Amino acid sequence: MADPNTKQMSQKSANIAAGAVVCVESEIRGDVTIGPRTVVHPKARIIAEAGPIIIGEGNLIEEQALIINSYPENIMPDTEGVEPKTMTIGINNVFEVGCVSQALKIGDNNVIESKADLGKNVILTSGCIVGACCQVNTCEVIPENTVIYGSNCMRRVQTERPQPQTLQLDFLMKILPNYHHMKKTVKGTSTPVRN
Amino acid sequence: MASLLQPDRVLYLVHGEKKIRSPLSTLYFCRYCSELRSLECVSHEVDSHYCPSCLENMPSAEAKLKKNRKRICNQLNENFRCANCFDCPCCMHTLSTRATNIPAPLPDDPSKTTMKKAYYLACGFCRWTSRDVGMADKSVASGGWQEPDNPHTQRINKLIEYYQQLAQREKLERDRKKLARRRPYMPLAFSQHTIHVVEKYGLGTRLQRQRPGAPITSLAGLSLKEGEDQKEINIEPAQALDEVEPLPEDCYTRPINLPEVTSLRQRLLQPDFQPAGASQLHPKHKHLLIKRSLRCRKCEHNLSKPEFNPTSIKFKIQLVAVSYIPEVRIMSIPNLRFQKECQVLLTLTNPVENITHVTLVGCEEGDPEDINSTAKVMVPTKELVLAGKDAAADYDELAEPQDFQDDPDVVAFRKSNKIGFFIKVVPQREEDGDVTVSFKIRHDFRNLAAPIRPSEEGDAPTEAIWLTHHVELSLGPIIA
Repeated sequence: MADPNTKQMSQKSANIAAGAVVCVESEIRGDVTIGPRTVVHPKARIIAEAGPIIIGEGNLIEEQALIINSYPENIMPDTEGVEPKTMTIGINNVFEVGCVSQALKIGDNNVIESKADLGKNVILTSGCIVGACCQVNTCEVIPENTVIYGSNCMRRVQTERPQPQTLQLDFLMKILPNYHHMKKTVKGTSTPVRN
Repeated sequence: MASLLQPDRVLYLVHGEKKIRSPLSTLYFCRYCSELRSLECVSHEVDSHYCPSCLENMPSAEAKLKKNRKRICNQLNENFRCANCFDCPCCMHTLSTRATNIPAPLPDDPSKTTMKKAYYLACGFCRWTSRDVGMADKSVASGGWQEPDNPHTQRINKLIEYYQQLAQREKLERDRKKLARRRPYMPLAFSQHTIHVVEKYGLGTRLQRQRPGAPITSLAGLSLKEGEDQKEINIEPAQALDEVEPLPEDCYTRPINLPEVTSLRQRLLQPDFQPAGASQLHPKHKHLLIKRSLRCRKCEHNLSKPEFNPTSIKFKIQLVAVSYIPEVRIMSIPNLRFQKECQVLLTLTNPVENITHVTLVGCEEGDPEDINSTAKVMVPTKELVLAGKDAAADYDELAEPQDFQDDPDVVAFRKSNKIGFFIKVVPQREEDGDVTVSFKIRHDFRNLAAPIRPSEEGDAPTEAIWLTHHVELSLGPIIA
């Protein structure tokens, strides 16, 4: 078990790689690592309560999106014997406005549309699209290139992955610093150094 | 807003072929007959067709013209479908055209490549693209997409032609018989009503609608048509086969690939192919919607006629009931108790510009219209006076409020053309359902539609007639 000292130290600040654009108005709590070329809009919330969050490169996290690594419902926050689980998010994902993601493992090139809700037990592979207002809280691995859409969360498989939003990312990385203050980035590697 | 106002708790009774009870907002008022009309006692006519996504108009005349120029099966496919817009075969949303840049070799110099635009169809909702079914990208933005041909087209064409001819002949014979027998009663056979009689194979509507109520000319039209198609169309009867294609051997053992299986709805939207696999779902042209006009069946006047332009939501003629009949709304209901008298607050709104006098009358014992009420109701006996609707009342603060001398026991408040009044309700049945009361409302109506005679009297251009409506209110459950 990590002793309380190291626990406190690792919860201090976010580890933002050079090249990432993170607005000051966003709320980042806990041990969060953000890769280069990722854009975090104002009012986005990334909260690492029950463990660290590692976000890869080229991700787009829009306003009011909530990425939270929370404790499971039936466990009190202060119980001993709880291993902190790391939440990993791959590259080129898009978290649209107002979505909530608690999934512990998200692959690459996924799109989570507005107001979608991902539960704790879902694992997204690559190329998945979770449609607007769809709640996915089953305990399963969503296969590649799946599209979840509609009020009944119908599913289908598409033949190609969604394209990475390079144009949008470039545009935002130029325009956002004109209107918002940015959080300071840390020079060095993007993976956290742990004892 | 509809759920906030709860309009379906106040029902007005319509005297038509069927007795229909429905909220005033769904009813029409024929001011020539001075009666309420519901959707079921008017005749619906199609005005024009339009595409809901590109809003392109296709008047029925042009649609008919398209019919005459092309072959019949294509008519049934292309008629009433938009030429530019497609529906997603997966989720039925409208497809949008997207462009990508692909490198393509220049025609002059094969070694160099330039960026050419390639277009494909994509659905914004379920992310279906035309590449999913193997349709190649087109180089033109619109007009390049073709629907696949049905292998049975020719056979269906022939069958339809044959049956249309058959129907024509039957109709001709039927009409001749009617004409021969019913000479003095001719109008009956050819009144507008026969248009709505079920026509076989959809042929008659087109011919008869052009000449309503003119018996001889419609017959002439039919005979002309037959004169053109003198040739007889013969069809071969369908042949029954003894041998049927056997099922594949792994039919029971092959695991099902669920994303590939089409749903029933997806399948049945394409009745000519009904593909079982998602990789054969091709997009179809979008169905056109119609603009319809309503006509009173008794006096044949139009009750509702929309504008021709699909982008316009206004009406040329709009005789809706809420602009002629005072509307009763429930404002507040106290706790209803079995056999105890409760006071319910209702509002009455005057939609016309003149002062209206309204009298409420309770239903008599054994009233045939009063079938649903479960409580006794005591309505105010005095006549209620409603001020006219003044459009400028909000802006004109200096206007003196008209003095109406209301009885405070009856009238709770008065606000421009609306008053609130009390009724007393005594629930009679202690059961689970809603407490329902009914009463009759009698008001004066000035008919502005009546032709103005050259007035012999100086004033009073229109006389008021008194109309009575039966109103039913649903007040909610009894709270013990």
